[in-house]
Amino acid sequence: MSSDKTTVLIVEDEPEFRLRFKQIVESEPTLELVGVAANKREAQELIDHTRFDVMLIDLGLPDGNGTDLIRQVSAKRPDVDIMVVTVFGDEQHVVSAIEAGATGYILKDSTAADVVSCIRLLRAGGSPVSPVVARSVLRAIRNRMGGSAAGRTGGPMPENNPLSARETEILQLLAKGMSFNEIGEILGISPHTVTAHIKKIYRKLAVHSRGEAVYEATQMGLLRS
Amino acid sequence: MLPLRAFLASLAAAALLVVSTAASAVALRSVAWAPTAVGAEAAADAQWHSFDLPLRWTASPDDPLKGLALRLRLAIDAPPTQAWAVLLPHASTGGRISVNGRMVGEVRSADAATEVRWRRPHLLAIDPALLAAGENTILIQTAYRGGLHLLDRVEVGPLAEVGRAYERQFFASSVLPWIGGTLAACFALIFGLLWLRRHDATIALVALASVFWVLRSAFFLIETVPLGAAIGLDALFYVANGGFAAVMTLVLLRLAGRTGKREAWLAGLYAALGPVLLLATAGHAVPYLDLFWLPSLIGMVAVSLFYALLSRVRKHESLQIVVVTAMAIAVAAAAYDFCLMQGWLPEAGMLALHWAGPLLLVALATPVVDRFVGVLRVAEGARSDLESRVREREQMLKRNYERLREGERMQATAAERQRIMQDMHDGLGTQLVSSLMLVERGALNQAQVAQVLRESIDDMRLAIDALAQGNSDLLAALGNLRYRMEPRFRAAGIELIWDARGMPEELNINPDAVLPILRIVQESLTNALKHSEARAVSVSLQVTQTGDETPVLTIRVTDNGKGIVGERVGGRGLLNMRSRAGKIGGALTLESVPGTGTRVKFVYKLAEYHTGLTRTQTQLGLNTEAIIERFREGAS
Repeated sequence: MSSDKTTVLIVEDEPEFRLRFKQIVESEPTLELVGVAANKREAQELIDHTRFDVMLIDLGLPDGNGTDLIRQVSAKRPDVDIMVVTVFGDEQHVVSAIEAGATGYILKDSTAADVVSCIRLLRAGGSPVSPVVARSVLRAIRNRMGGSAAGRTGGPMPENNPLSARETEILQLLAKGMSFNEIGEILGISPHTVTAHIKKIYRKLAVHSRGEAVYEATQMGLLRS
Repeated sequence: MLPLRAFLASLAAAALLVVSTAASAVALRSVAWAPTAVGAEAAADAQWHSFDLPLRWTASPDDPLKGLALRLRLAIDAPPTQAWAVLLPHASTGGRISVNGRMVGEVRSADAATEVRWRRPHLLAIDPALLAAGENTILIQTAYRGGLHLLDRVEVGPLAEVGRAYERQFFASSVLPWIGGTLAACFALIFGLLWLRRHDATIALVALASVFWVLRSAFFLIETVPLGAAIGLDALFYVANGGFAAVMTLVLLRLAGRTGKREAWLAGLYAALGPVLLLATAGHAVPYLDLFWLPSLIGMVAVSLFYALLSRVRKHESLQIVVVTAMAIAVAAAAYDFCLMQGWLPEAGMLALHWAGPLLLVALATPVVDRFVGVLRVAEGARSDLESRVREREQMLKRNYERLREGERMQATAAERQRIMQDMHDGLGTQLVSSLMLVERGALNQAQVAQVLRESIDDMRLAIDALAQGNSDLLAALGNLRYRMEPRFRAAGIELIWDARGMPEELNINPDAVLPILRIVQESLTNALKHSEARAVSVSLQVTQTGDETPVLTIRVTDNGKGIVGERVGGRGLLNMRSRAGKIGGALTLESVPGTGTRVKFVYKLAEYHTGLTRTQTQLGLNTEAIIERFREGAS
């Protein structure tokens, strides 16, 4: 396990895509494949016994939902980047995956270059985001705040908004289709900082959602506080 | 049932009263009678005539005022030790009363200017010292004019004992007419007012009967009268009796189902006969009227009662038990009073009509009250019926409204489905079919097949973006398009500049327009990517509004490529873009300068749908309350 290579774990049940992702990782010299799982059970085994930097995971696995695994890994190994494999038009699942702890996502039919650049972006401390996902994240946050009027009109977010004003602004610009570069220019920051903001937003969303889950579990008597 | 019970209770009370008035005291049963000068004592040689009490005597209306002495003898064993009194239950002419030559009191009697007709009893206390053991003399000096006069039995005895008798008699002869008169006056007022509001024959008859009873009671309560008015008072008595009897006859005829005017006139005329004859004969007809006309009135009512009963029994109608019973009692009471006044009864008694009359009035009022209550009940029933109907309508309106909304929802869903089908057919479907044909012909190599499939997927994503944004947010859909195109531009070495700063946070537009706009932009971008050989492509999105005018969405796609060469200006791709823009009411302009670049400008008016959405929502907030209120108003 050399330190200059990014180790990758793939959890994908469809053989075609599994093979494709495997090939992409294997053909990229900076990446190293450490394991491939076709279902949750296998994935669990690998997670428990293997060290990896990035996990590519499909949510819909034959023996259950991948969200549990995401939550597990993100809690145990905060340094691991979790990348959700998704189909288009599935933004709601992306948001729940982010809430579980994922920091990136990739479309199933992405080109090899897309996959590699996305992994690089993640390792560099950034996160990808599409306008629709940006919008979905904004909505998820608004809904948590009870869909307050201020939130709905897109005006200044209320105080219980976990996001800073800058983060909200970035999300709003992203939702309009602006690129990291363009946003960086507008805000006078580097594109890299913009992606770093996105990752931070994702983490906040996950922490916030965990906090909520703990709160709800306490309420239901599942946990002793 | 309440009126009947009240009626029976009052009947029993009245009967009790009659029985108790029959209580006797120490009574003087004979009198000696001698004419005197007015206001003077009997002459020493006067001729005394003995009579049994009660004593009745008459005089002609033409006769002048005459004096009269009445002497009664009282034998006692020993002089009393407590206060005694003499009770004159009915001494119609009054007079000065002396015991053993000493005056004990005076009851006003007729004089030059006044006529008296005492009906109330008089009680005079006697000093016990005046009475001696053995025979004592009680002398009444009085005066009289024409008419019928009466001295009932005189009672003498201990004050306490005769006092009780006095009170009973006073009640029967004075208080009772007062009560009856007052009651009748109230009835006259109430039913008279009622009649003014509603011209109903039954109400009119009750009001008229009450008026006549007030007059009759007045006659009995007016005991001293100026000389000239005496005949008027007599006429009043006849009017009251005649009128009351006529009204009763009409009531009974109505019970029998006869409501003709002829009967009313005949009864009225017969009732007028008495007073007319009295006035015409200046009082001379009084004995005959009393003897024949008054009983004939009773007969008239009795016959009518019989006729009414017969007719109702024959027609199997309800007998109107309250009215009929009260009427029968009144007829009996009138007959009794008549006999009493004619002196045909052995014992003097109290007039029965004083209580039977008011009782009859109450009985007559009960059907009217019953009917009124019945009408009220019907009105209340109608009201609650109306209310329940209004409630039903309310429910129906609500149901209709729900159905309407449901229909609108379904229509919207159907429209959405139609749109999706149309999109799939026009876009993805056509593309896949034509690609399939090309592949089957072997016209495409592997790279071209991948390209065709990629384009199909692009189109599908476009459709999904357009649909997935449930609230038809154009902005995010456009943003996603850019996000997807970006890597391709990067791969081709073309810079894609996206300026959405002039856009609001969210832009909701007509859902039908989302996909066409996305296609136009995608087509423009694809054209620039494939054909322009540009170094940079810039997309600018802007929503502008001047004043109150409709906001306008402007999308510009500009490249710095070679421009569109000649024949391609009218190419299929551009034609498609134009037709799409036209279908949704947008405008597409294309400027191309060879060597400099191409500029596509798409303009679309927004507000129609933007505000249209809110208008639809307010229309849906249908004000059912107002509709129900209007319905209520219409119904009442």
